[in-house]
Amino acid sequence: VDATRYTLVGAADALARGEVSSVELTRAMLDRVRRLNPMLNCYIHVEDELALAEAAAADAARAAGRTLGPLHGVPLAAKDMFYDPQRVVSCGSRVRANFRPTAMATVLARLRAAGAVNLGATNMTEFALGPTGHNAWYGACRNPWNVAHVAGGSSSGSGAAVAARLAFGALGSDTGGSVRLPAAANGVLGLKATYARVSRAGVMPLSSSMDHVGPFARTARDCARLMNVIAGHDPADPTSSRRAVPDYEAAIEQDVDGLRVGVPRNHFHDGATADVRAALDAALRELEGAGMRVVELEVEHAEHMTELSRAVVYSEAAALHGHWLRTRGEDYSPQVRARATTGIAIPAASYLEALQLRPRLLRRYVEHVHSRCDVLFTPTLPIPVPTIAETDVGGSPAMWETIAKMVPCTAPFNYLGVPALSVPAGFTANGLPASFQLVARPFAEALLLRVAAAYQARTDWHERLPSLV
Amino acid sequence: MTPPTLSAAAVLELARLEGRANLDADTAQRVAVGASNAVRAVTATVDDSLFDVEPLHYLAELERLADGG
Repeated sequence: VDATRYTLVGAADALARGEVSSVELTRAMLDRVRRLNPMLNCYIHVEDELALAEAAAADAARAAGRTLGPLHGVPLAAKDMFYDPQRVVSCGSRVRANFRPTAMATVLARLRAAGAVNLGATNMTEFALGPTGHNAWYGACRNPWNVAHVAGGSSSGSGAAVAARLAFGALGSDTGGSVRLPAAANGVLGLKATYARVSRAGVMPLSSSMDHVGPFARTARDCARLMNVIAGHDPADPTSSRRAVPDYEAAIEQDVDGLRVGVPRNHFHDGATADVRAALDAALRELEGAGMRVVELEVEHAEHMTELSRAVVYSEAAALHGHWLRTRGEDYSPQVRARATTGIAIPAASYLEALQLRPRLLRRYVEHVHSRCDVLFTPTLPIPVPTIAETDVGGSPAMWETIAKMVPCTAPFNYLGVPALSVPAGFTANGLPASFQLVARPFAEALLLRVAAAYQARTDWHERLPSLV
Repeated sequence: MTPPTLSAAAVLELARLEGRANLDADTAQRVAVGASNAVRAVTATVDDSLFDVEPLHYLAELERLADGG
């Protein structure tokens, strides 16, 4: 079985037609993981027997005439921070290297109920604290387009695995860009849904106010199918919304003619390199070709929103990690120890002010920006995907500067909590993927996927394969 | 004018107070810079409209704004 032939939805359709069995597809994926993971390091744990048992159960159900759901028999993966009592969940850390949860993450349970097969746990930045995908304990995840480059973080392995056709889709978490940055670095789609849209119950926390869960996939339709399964209220997550969940897959069938795409004049494009700008300009022309109208606008306070999000993330992370940092500080890598400690120097009053500002800045953002455009258009990663060496400790004098350039386009939308989607849009001069980010008003994920589907219908970036694949 | 920045020494004092004695000088310097940047951004954005704001209204605001509310 050639597993690279199928998209996620294509695989589900092929399984439904009986063209391939889940065991065959899962075995093919596991063979690919065995061959490519030593180069990419995108999986931390792969349990062949568990995955094949789930696949066999899916095949048996189908043989008995039962359809489990829209992901029946499809092999997927999840970042190593989604709790599953059958597996060790390391959170990319030494501290939790042997942690075995007692309950399953709601989103994993939903994937399972929809018939998905869990291939294993993907690599990540230690405790999800960092945008590059370095990991002192499990090794850096490598980019399938060029293994000398980072896969982005913190959900590094999920992005790399989907790009390398080592899973049809995957889950990640996003507190400042941790789904969208690895999606951009690896040339796949990554969606940070609206805060409160996808349950976080049973998912390792980093910053409760900013944590989001989201899917990785290669096409808008694949992403929509994953959202159809994971979105919706969860009694186990008190922040989750009771708002009705639309049929995302049906929504992407609508065209985008007449929709307005907003290009910010301030902040977001400031740090973009010439090759990133060229890729974004070409993408905008495609959106115009699909009938969308380009408008320019300002995003108020954009220059402060990354730091506002950090005031919250650092404070909440410092509290979460306080006990372990006091008692097991040596079990943290130096970079992550610094990030998890920064909150001790942020006054409680500043943390609360950042939270108090949030509803007001959200209202001003939506009223000002989304009265003028339906979707906002920005780079996801404004610079070409950097190398592992230049973003590693001691690797380059410009290391901190390079890392700092990675998040200014993503973190503002964690602070606001609005949905944001990274869409692959070609390549930069170094041969690594370029991407744009689409942002919409709260709960408008279907609109983002609809625009991405229109873009993918006019381009073939999502069909390109890394050469090592 | 150079914006105010917390000193590494102040961070080490805070760490000692919090029982995080294992912080080294380099990490303290990074923490000082990171925390100072965050606090300055908060200060630059805040005005007097926050006195009656309840942070938990954020979730309701997300719902209200979904449909152009």
